[in-house]
Amino acid sequence: MAVKTITAKELHSRINGGNPVFILDVRNPDEYNDWKIEGKELKSINIPYFDFLDEDEKNYKHLPKDTEIAVVCAKGGAALMVAEILDEKGYDVSYLEEGMLEWSRFYHPVTIHVGEDMKLIQVNRLAKGCLSYMVISKGNAMIVDPNRHINEYLELAERENAKIMHIMDTHLHADHISGGQELAEQTGATYYISSSEMQGSDIPYEPLESHKEIKFGDVQVKVLAIPTPGHTPGSVSFLVNDKFLLSGDTIFVGGLGRPDLGGKAREWAQSLYDTVFQTIAGLSDDTMVLPTHYADIKEINEGGFVGATLGEIRQSNEIMRTEDREEFTEKVAGTAGAATPPNYEEIVEINRGTVEVTADKATELEIGPNRCAVHHS
Amino acid sequence: MNTDVFVDAKGLSCPMPIVKAKKAIDALQPGQIMELEATDKGSVNDFQSWVKQTKHEMIKMEEDNGVYRFFVKKGQ
Repeated sequence: MAVKTITAKELHSRINGGNPVFILDVRNPDEYNDWKIEGKELKSINIPYFDFLDEDEKNYKHLPKDTEIAVVCAKGGAALMVAEILDEKGYDVSYLEEGMLEWSRFYHPVTIHVGEDMKLIQVNRLAKGCLSYMVISKGNAMIVDPNRHINEYLELAERENAKIMHIMDTHLHADHISGGQELAEQTGATYYISSSEMQGSDIPYEPLESHKEIKFGDVQVKVLAIPTPGHTPGSVSFLVNDKFLLSGDTIFVGGLGRPDLGGKAREWAQSLYDTVFQTIAGLSDDTMVLPTHYADIKEINEGGFVGATLGEIRQSNEIMRTEDREEFTEKVAGTAGAATPPNYEEIVEINRGTVEVTADKATELEIGPNRCAVHHS
Repeated sequence: MNTDVFVDAKGLSCPMPIVKAKKAIDALQPGQIMELEATDKGSVNDFQSWVKQTKHEMIKMEEDNGVYRFFVKKGQ
């Protein structure tokens, strides 16, 4: 019997839909421990593919006979080999055809809000914990923090019957390659980012600091660019219709953005302090915070999206209540020792437009999780 | 270095370099050395990980213009 293939999309809907699948990840243990497919109810196990080259009963004792096993590896080849071995032994088995490579470019859109004024969609790139947003009003759309696989946004806009007018990055990203500029080129939309993020760049962009408000659609969709420095000096958040705060990498559901990727941890931590206790302080507790990243699958809430009210975040994160400037700075700058996003220095340069890479190289640089969301519990 | 078997896995992608390595080393006597060449970048991690899980020993690893060369001594 030929083994079945499973796509990243199918795998995700099985994980989410209560139709269980058991994941057998056959990459090396260090790769598995660093970065794997996760889900709240998901069972997964790691046995490297070369273990299956030996006839050894111990390989099989943890594999279920009554549940479909999805075999996953880096690019698909080793998973196919293991899937064939399991298939011969009578297991119900499928394999992810292009492995973690495919998982890393799988995007899942979730509608967060539908009102007369607008529709707000969160696009979750699960493998990286990267979130981007599409706000649609009267047939026009704005996209915030798009990732590199721009077809995802083009297709989504087409399904929504919307024309992409505005594209923005909340800041110069260090964990993923932005799709902003390319998407702007393809659609003719305006690409916005803070100019302090783009020094030395040749990329055409509209400086965000020149726009206090960006309006589009017949209905009044108000988008305020709020300077929220800290993660980077030019970080902004967008307050959409006074209700949704697209907070970039400054405030997460589980904590605050790390200020250390520019090598000035203490200085940027001071800016982050001002962001939390001055800029954001005035926003009401029921403001819905929608960040650009999450660090843990548990941050996906019951609505299927990553987000929490400012009130909830203030309550659950001590750092949001640490009003002592010194103490705050110590704590936040102290996260500087945590693992940095893989290849972040090169990714920053690509996003600034000072380095160009091929699609293959981009894939290689982006592999792995984001590490911009550091928990402050 | 004196080697006892040479395996050419150039141009092959995962899992073939390890599959070929395993086959070749199974045919050796303990203490004998296998030399293998691969061009798949992922094989660097895979060989280190594979050797760690087995009784074999990685004697040397080198890279030359996109060709990765592994010298593995068969364990007891």
